[in-house]
Amino acid sequence: MSPLIGDYIAGLRRRLPAAIADEAAGGLTEAYQHHLAAGSGQDDAARAAMAEFGDLDLVAGEFTRQAPGRRAARLLLATGPVAGLCWAAALIGSRAWTWPVPVAARAGFGAVLAGAVLTLLSAATSRRSYQRTRLAMLASPVILALDATAITAVMLEAPAMTRALGMAVAVSLARMSFTACTLPRLATR
Amino acid sequence: MILRVAYLLMRAEAQALKGHLDTLLLASLEAGPRHGYAVKEALRAGSGARFDLPTGTIYPALRRVEAAGLVSGTWTEAGGRRRRIYELTPAGRRRLTGERAAWRDFASAVTAILEPAP
Repeated sequence: MSPLIGDYIAGLRRRLPAAIADEAAGGLTEAYQHHLAAGSGQDDAARAAMAEFGDLDLVAGEFTRQAPGRRAARLLLATGPVAGLCWAAALIGSRAWTWPVPVAARAGFGAVLAGAVLTLLSAATSRRSYQRTRLAMLASPVILALDATAITAVMLEAPAMTRALGMAVAVSLARMSFTACTLPRLATR
Repeated sequence: MILRVAYLLMRAEAQALKGHLDTLLLASLEAGPRHGYAVKEALRAGSGARFDLPTGTIYPALRRVEAAGLVSGTWTEAGGRRRRIYELTPAGRRRLTGERAAWRDFASAVTAILEPAP
């Protein structure tokens, strides 16, 4: 096989998960053999196959844009303002600052939430790095745990379950269910 | 200037094609299961070589329609070579039927406007 094809496939393997790189490499090899069978020399066949296949940046970029981690991060970020507004309205309405929750726990919750959102932003905005989209796999369980923590805090500390608190809990439960369904897919791709 | 216009036309066509790519992928699998390179060749042959997309962009598009549940992909091995073969799911077949009907309606309306009355 032409070293040009070998270099291209090595580039695919560096930038993409193994199963995806294998499939793309198979397609490139198919095109290469098609040109060899049509009578081209090894390097000419390799150049023609690579031209047909597309530039490595273009191909890796297309896979990155379709990455499940990028899509999950975008969906979680899109639901963030809705969940945030529901929780803000519910907590203000219930005078949550009077609840017996330690300041350190409140600050810790905020810091972890900010970290998870920044990590999701990094995954959601990746255009060329497939690896970066996989950050969603780290941030999604954190968001799930934060939703669970918020719901637990309400159950333990809220003096009464208001309609606004109920709505915020429902939004968090919906997001937890989405995250729990998405995580296995993120782990395998 | 002419090159610039040609480039813009090509870009406009590529963008328009991108909007219909999922439907074209489904149509290329209607006759039976195919691997990525065969899908690309079917699109090229079916369009009289007009839709000659970079092969490498077909694979991510196939993964996208697979994630949407419209096709299913399975690895097979033949002649010592592993290939991922895609086939339409029932949902993909239904989507293709709907998209085809919508396209026919749209195309006949545009044709009725563009073609001069006899």
